[in-house]
Amino acid sequence: MALPIKYNVRNVFIRWRSTIATIVGVALVVAVYVLVQALAVGLESSSANTGAPGNLLVMRKGSTAESSSQVKLDQLRTIQYLDGVAKDTEGKPLVSGDVLILINLPRRENKGEANILIRGIGANGIKLRPQVALMGGRWFRPGLREVAISKRLSARFANTGIGEKFKTGGHEMTVVGQFDAGSSAFDSEIWMDGDEARSIFDRENYSSVLLTTTSDLAATNLINRIEKDKTLSLKIVPEIGFYKTQTKTAGPIKFMGAFLATAMSIGAIFAAMNTMYASVGARTREVGTLRVLGFRRRTILVSFLLEGAFLALVGGVLGCLLAMPMNGLATGTLSFDNFSEVVFEFRITPRLWMNGLLFSVIVGLIGSLLPAIRAARLPVIASLKSI
Amino acid sequence: MTTLGFIAKNALRNKRRAILSVGSVAASLFLFIILQVGVRELTLPVEDVGSASRVIARNRISLGQLLPAKQKPTIERIPGVEVVSPFTWFGGKFRGEEVMFAQFAVDPDAFLKISVDAHIPAEQAQAFTADRRACIVGKDTAAKYKLKVGDRMMIEGTYWPFDLELHVAGIYSGTPDDRNIFFNHKYLDEASGGGGQVGTWWIKVRSPEEVGPVTSAIDKAFMNTSAEVRAETERAFQLGFISMWGNIKTLISAISSVVVFTLILVSASTMSMAIRERFRELAVLKALGFRRRELFGFILAESFGLSALGAMLGVGGCWALLTFVPATTLTGNFFPTLEVTPRMLGLGSLVAAALGIISSLAPAISVARMSVVEGLKTLD
Repeated sequence: MALPIKYNVRNVFIRWRSTIATIVGVALVVAVYVLVQALAVGLESSSANTGAPGNLLVMRKGSTAESSSQVKLDQLRTIQYLDGVAKDTEGKPLVSGDVLILINLPRRENKGEANILIRGIGANGIKLRPQVALMGGRWFRPGLREVAISKRLSARFANTGIGEKFKTGGHEMTVVGQFDAGSSAFDSEIWMDGDEARSIFDRENYSSVLLTTTSDLAATNLINRIEKDKTLSLKIVPEIGFYKTQTKTAGPIKFMGAFLATAMSIGAIFAAMNTMYASVGARTREVGTLRVLGFRRRTILVSFLLEGAFLALVGGVLGCLLAMPMNGLATGTLSFDNFSEVVFEFRITPRLWMNGLLFSVIVGLIGSLLPAIRAARLPVIASLKSI
Repeated sequence: MTTLGFIAKNALRNKRRAILSVGSVAASLFLFIILQVGVRELTLPVEDVGSASRVIARNRISLGQLLPAKQKPTIERIPGVEVVSPFTWFGGKFRGEEVMFAQFAVDPDAFLKISVDAHIPAEQAQAFTADRRACIVGKDTAAKYKLKVGDRMMIEGTYWPFDLELHVAGIYSGTPDDRNIFFNHKYLDEASGGGGQVGTWWIKVRSPEEVGPVTSAIDKAFMNTSAEVRAETERAFQLGFISMWGNIKTLISAISSVVVFTLILVSASTMSMAIRERFRELAVLKALGFRRRELFGFILAESFGLSALGAMLGVGGCWALLTFVPATTLTGNFFPTLEVTPRMLGLGSLVAAALGIISSLAPAISVARMSVVEGLKTLD
């Protein structure tokens, strides 16, 4: 027969002083784990969130990032009139030759400088990205040194409010609008007219070409057509798929989270062990009594393991709650994919909660294993005699 | 029995608990020091002998924007400038994968004069300047990929639209980061179809005092041209890179404080558990005429001793790990130095000392407050 769980739950709170210390210890470990993983999740979801279905992205064969790719003008001309490329209401192909330029801008409050991506887009560039919405001001006009900036980016960089001007190289750019890109990778960009960008930054070629297709079949055919064309030497991939692979930055963060959690959990396991040993020591007589009543060693073992797991689980819940206020908070770091600032949010997903709780239960089980074995092995008569 | 013996006996009476306390202190301090090492690695670029008189000039727009090669004579004419070399990042893949070493195109003659820290045998240096496809490889990279003089290296371009086929002409050592590969800029110009563009300029200034005037002269020389330049010392350039990391430093510092806090909490609780268990004994000691002060001394010495032991294991273990185990190689040379500085050792010891004191406070106060009778009555 198993012992009622209520027995363990109550026992956890009897020695409240050491219990609280252990719970808080586990809570902090779980909070750190969840927060660091939330960074990685936020980064990944911002890239996984980017792109529209049906859109295809064309880049130079061999390039790993959009910013280091080059598409020549005549290549763009060839691509836009291929079969399967969708057209807008005026009959123009829904294609945008983009140019990506890294510029160095000062952060707000004199907190150093960082690189940002400027994306110069074609006339249909905005239409091709329905997840980007203008929040304030207006879109830039072609042929002028006007830019629209992501709202989140604007919060981080100096002189990027609507109506303000910033300088890059010798060129003065006017911010005329702010947009929201729905937590996608475009939230880390400044947009302007593509041809103007190419002339200011002295770029002969485009970086990439984005286009949309008339149907899935057309997309497949177009991919085959371009991939097979040796003279073009271009690669073409679904936009959504491409952004999903841009996750070089999340890797090291995940590693750091796992490392920190492992190292910290050793301390937490020691704490749980201490508490559980003390608990076993104080209840020696109780355990003897239980044995006399007919409870088996196995039952006692499971009971103490459950107690340890429950103790840590309380810590785990507390830890997740502690981490929750950071959910949705925007932050930024250097992207390893294109060496520019990437803005993203802490994302504490239900899955992360589950991981955090699971993690705490494991800490509790490991920490209580030895004390539970000790409790199960107590000799009945001797333990009944102990005070 | 001496006082010291008494304290030691007490501390080790419950061996399991002593081991657990020392272990948790050690684990946390280990982590604390590792984090400090990591922060240092990320935020403090290594300084070498020549860096004080070296300048890097890049396009004012950003590093991603190239500079015209025709700027070279203008820079060379600036008073105080000794040697100028192009310095262009290639960013290729090696053996089909992304690598931890950078490949830079330079002017071999100028490079050898600017990079005074790089030790390279004279005949290898000679071979580097003689062959257009020659490259020199840092000793760490050479060791990692088992490269030797005479080998061929195929570098696949990702940033540049072509591949390189390099001949290893020499292996250098002695720079703070012996990982990079340097090859002839003329090869890059040739392969890119004419050249005319460089990534950055790497400049040696006659003396460190002239660095300030030289950087502003370079900036001024290209003001209002189509490619404005920003020149800064090598160190400022590296620090600029680090500021792009953004909040990483804040994040790691925040985690360090959480670690320290958890550590204090857990050990303090363990320590007070150990004392509460002995309330009765302490009451006996009180009855025997020991003063509060002395009892406090016992408790303090015990917790201090335990946390000192933990510090020795944790901090010392971290130091030993990074000193005797080739950690930089094991982490794929992602971190070039990984070293525990005396300052970190001091900081770790300080945290341990504070821990010892803080965790003895709560039990000491309750011992001081308890009456003898009360203490004798305690059951637990």
